[in-house]
Amino acid sequence: MKKIILKLSFIVLVLVIIPSLAQAETMYAKKSGVKVTAEKSPTSKVVGKLNTGDQVQVVKKAGRQYQVKLPNGKSGWVFKFKLSDKKPAGKSGGSSLAGLTGKTTIAARESRSGGSIRGLKETTEQYAQGKNIDPSYRRSVDAMEAFRVSDSELAQFQRAGGVGDYSGGGQ
Amino acid sequence: MRRISFAIVLTLGLTSFAYESFGGFLDDILKPQPKKEQSQPSQSQGGQQEQPGLLDALGAFGVKKKDIDLIKKGVGVAQALQPIGEEEEITMGEAVAVEAFSRFGGEYRDERLTRYINLVGKTVADVSDRPNLNFHFAILNSQDQNAFAAPGGFIFVTIGLLKNLKNEAELAGVLAHEIAHVTQKHMLETIRRGALLSNVSEVTLSAMNKDPKMFSNVIDEITDKLFTKGLDKDKEYEADAYGVEFAYRAGYHPSGLRDYLKTLQSQEGHANSKFFTTHPSTRTRISKIDELLGQYADGRRFPVLTQRFQSYMGA
Repeated sequence: MKKIILKLSFIVLVLVIIPSLAQAETMYAKKSGVKVTAEKSPTSKVVGKLNTGDQVQVVKKAGRQYQVKLPNGKSGWVFKFKLSDKKPAGKSGGSSLAGLTGKTTIAARESRSGGSIRGLKETTEQYAQGKNIDPSYRRSVDAMEAFRVSDSELAQFQRAGGVGDYSGGGQ
Repeated sequence: MRRISFAIVLTLGLTSFAYESFGGFLDDILKPQPKKEQSQPSQSQGGQQEQPGLLDALGAFGVKKKDIDLIKKGVGVAQALQPIGEEEEITMGEAVAVEAFSRFGGEYRDERLTRYINLVGKTVADVSDRPNLNFHFAILNSQDQNAFAAPGGFIFVTIGLLKNLKNEAELAGVLAHEIAHVTQKHMLETIRRGALLSNVSEVTLSAMNKDPKMFSNVIDEITDKLFTKGLDKDKEYEADAYGVEFAYRAGYHPSGLRDYLKTLQSQEGHANSKFFTTHPSTRTRISKIDELLGQYADGRRFPVLTQRFQSYMGA
């Protein structure tokens, strides 16, 4: 009789505990630098930052903010559109089937013209020269790529307009 | 073994035949150019053509050379089915961006306004489905109302279009539509389909560097689609739907894109806009967006930011 009770208790335990564990929703950071704040308000103290693919457990959903638990045990709030229920995939590269034909596939990384960080890619530069496109247009693309907006400027802009992390009344 | 070999040959052969049977719009354009004599020595180029691969080893199992060639062709088609890599995408985008500046009056030089467009664009791109791609936003010095997205995240909007917007939510809606073309890889899909139909086995940087004519032809095709013919209607509707979603996620009033299209519709017939030739009917787009907006009821309280927009536009 004792054995039967023990077995039944074990089954009940499995039936109760496993589904409750499964209900804890796992989500992943879609990009690096995702803020985790102490309170629901995005202006509250930052308790952590997530990198792309970092896993969190969603504890509570409140509008556009989710309360999450981090792997280190800390908890905080995250703007929900910075999270995904799917783990972000790595960058897509060239064909993986190339090996079958015996071809050598060169890793797709290209240097910038002039070897500097700025400047168009060599292929683009060659293309523009081949088409006799005015150099000023090449410089415009260069400037377009070099244009930077700092995180703090973006945050200030979003807060002032009540958009982004600060949207939906999150101030 | 023979049965397996025969099945492989038959499957890949039929796949290859099926794609060969269709005439593609890129058939001639993407056809690999005859190789030029290389004056400089290359470590890998000569060897690549003749280096035996795994498939060549099938000869040892009694598979005939012509059958091996057929399998190789099938694998080539399968390679073209692979997604185009991000590095290739960005390189193509750069070249298209050069063309955009060249054809649409060059850069509209206003540092403050450019910064504003980038701040709105990045707010939307950050919550899009490709938040790790570095999006770039620029204004073109053209009075035509137009906006477009080059692969790799190069987004353009003309000063003519900006002058016809009423608020920041409309701007966010237009940029979100363009961002959606990039997140959904609409242009890449078009290129890949063209490459497939033309039996081009690789759309990689190494292949394009070896054959600059091929790269040039790909860019010609993209610019023709972007600036003249427009993408498929379904891709435009999809970009509208994702655009509304991204603008909503960013916290803008989700009707921004629809509201601008209404302005455009009121100008139909007399406005100078490429939108009418490169996009499907404005009326249909508005009606499709209206159907979607019901799902974003809570977004009705989100801001449109008219005052901030006007302060940047100098109105």
